[in-house]
Amino acid sequence: MNRRAGAGWAAVRAAIAAAIVLGAALPLYLLLKQAITPERESFAWPPLWLPHRIVGTHLHAVFALPELRGAILLSLGIALLSAALATALGAMLGYAMARSGAGRAAGFGALTAARLLPMIAVAIPLAIGMGRVGLYDSPSGLGLALVHSALALPVAALMVYPAFAALPREVEEAAWLDGASPARVFVLIDLPQARGALAGAFVMAFILSWDEFGYALLIQVTHRTLPPLLYYYMVFGDVGAASALALLMMVPAVCLVIALGPMLRGAMAAGGLR
Amino acid sequence: MNRAGRTMRAVFIAVPALFMAIFLVLPAVSGAVLSFDVGGRLSLGNYRALLGDRMFWRALLGNLAIPLGSLAIEFALALGLALYLGARRKPPAAVEVAAILPFAIPEIVLLAIARYIFIPRGYLNGALLAAGGAPLGWLRPGSALASLVVMAVDAWHVTPVVMLILLAGLQTIPPELYEAAALDGAGALQTFRHVTLPLLTPALVGALVLRGVDALRIFSTTLVLTGAEGTPVLSTYAYLLWSDSQEPRVAMAAAMMLAAMVTLMGLAGIALGRRFGASGVAA
Repeated sequence: MNRRAGAGWAAVRAAIAAAIVLGAALPLYLLLKQAITPERESFAWPPLWLPHRIVGTHLHAVFALPELRGAILLSLGIALLSAALATALGAMLGYAMARSGAGRAAGFGALTAARLLPMIAVAIPLAIGMGRVGLYDSPSGLGLALVHSALALPVAALMVYPAFAALPREVEEAAWLDGASPARVFVLIDLPQARGALAGAFVMAFILSWDEFGYALLIQVTHRTLPPLLYYYMVFGDVGAASALALLMMVPAVCLVIALGPMLRGAMAAGGLR
Repeated sequence: MNRAGRTMRAVFIAVPALFMAIFLVLPAVSGAVLSFDVGGRLSLGNYRALLGDRMFWRALLGNLAIPLGSLAIEFALALGLALYLGARRKPPAAVEVAAILPFAIPEIVLLAIARYIFIPRGYLNGALLAAGGAPLGWLRPGSALASLVVMAVDAWHVTPVVMLILLAGLQTIPPELYEAAALDGAGALQTFRHVTLPLLTPALVGALVLRGVDALRIFSTTLVLTGAEGTPVLSTYAYLLWSDSQEPRVAMAAAMMLAAMVTLMGLAGIALGRRFGASGVAA
């Protein structure tokens, strides 16, 4: 390659890098700007690209409005409960996958079911069925938390399965020979071994629930979690509150990006499976 | 001892399987039954009602065109990004993080941002005006432009996933092959055509299966950007029948049509995956 072509390529590469960074940064900037400017400025025509007056009212409203505070707590509770459930059940299934062919068949079957069933085909009958047992639109959000854990369960199992498979069977067998019950061996030897993978599965399940929109829209129709609430603010025109809420919803994702950094690739690839 | 171990494994399979059955599989099955129920009798009436509704045909067409368009956009972008990020001269780490970022943003938040950009008095029209152009109705209900915007926004969100799968595929290609191609005097285009592309096929097929199934299930992007009637797809159409028209049975018939489409796509995907030894397909 001659030098002129080399310089040309370098320019192209720099332009691509700039386009990628701009594509990621510009939307986030616009979100931030909408959240901290007064309503009149957010709706200005032609639009203003730089904030002229900065106000904290929208961000303040996120924590001051009872409706919003309730939604934050509800979302947080549902995400924590479903993450805990999905991790616990996923650990069981992941262990079975590592130890038997039947377990692997069950694991991949569960994954296929979770991936192939369209949300709408499950959510409508689920809403009807939950109505019968008092879980539909419940103030506690228990019904939604259970669905979210079912969605995350197979992915959690797939994430912890390699950690269990990596543990040599001889270690388990030695513990059995020493008289430990299989359950004891699982809790004292296998689970600690899979600590990292279990933490990853918990984070994945938490984010899945925190971001989930479709089931939440159909099941929590008045006791809304954050994603459907954001949708209502957008559609019914409370732009300031919507932007502040959107900013708040970004917090777990941003924490994840900062905390995981280089590990992000693997986590995202696994997240792509949900 | 071993028997106790076997019992534990059986419990470890049964409990999660039961959980999945109760909250995902059984509801879908009862929904399928509901779709064949008219006044307590087994009937195809709900499906006939669908076929007579013009909105259903628009939703069906949209459910083919929008996923196809969004897959085309995201694969073109992802392939370009993967080749760029996987090149021997590594771009800065910040660029890699930026390329993954759109997927880390919650979908609903990304859609909120997309609305600020594409609404009539949004930032895109502002930029057009500043550049001396005329504002456009990007999200006008029923327009081809609105469908195009939906495809682009959907692709924007998921391109990083496809890119990561392709990037992983690129890393499995032995560098010696590139060296051999260079020694043989192959140009960049020839190397791509005869080395990169054939060896990347498993990753491409894997990503296509994974994303193809997801693309068919599109719901929030169309609902948030244009409303359920603006760019109808089967999910939003069924949602309207359920929440606005109070027709759960017809809604379930529409949902079952979608489930059939997704299942067909999944089966085709499994066959394709076998044929090409696809990577990245867990389901």
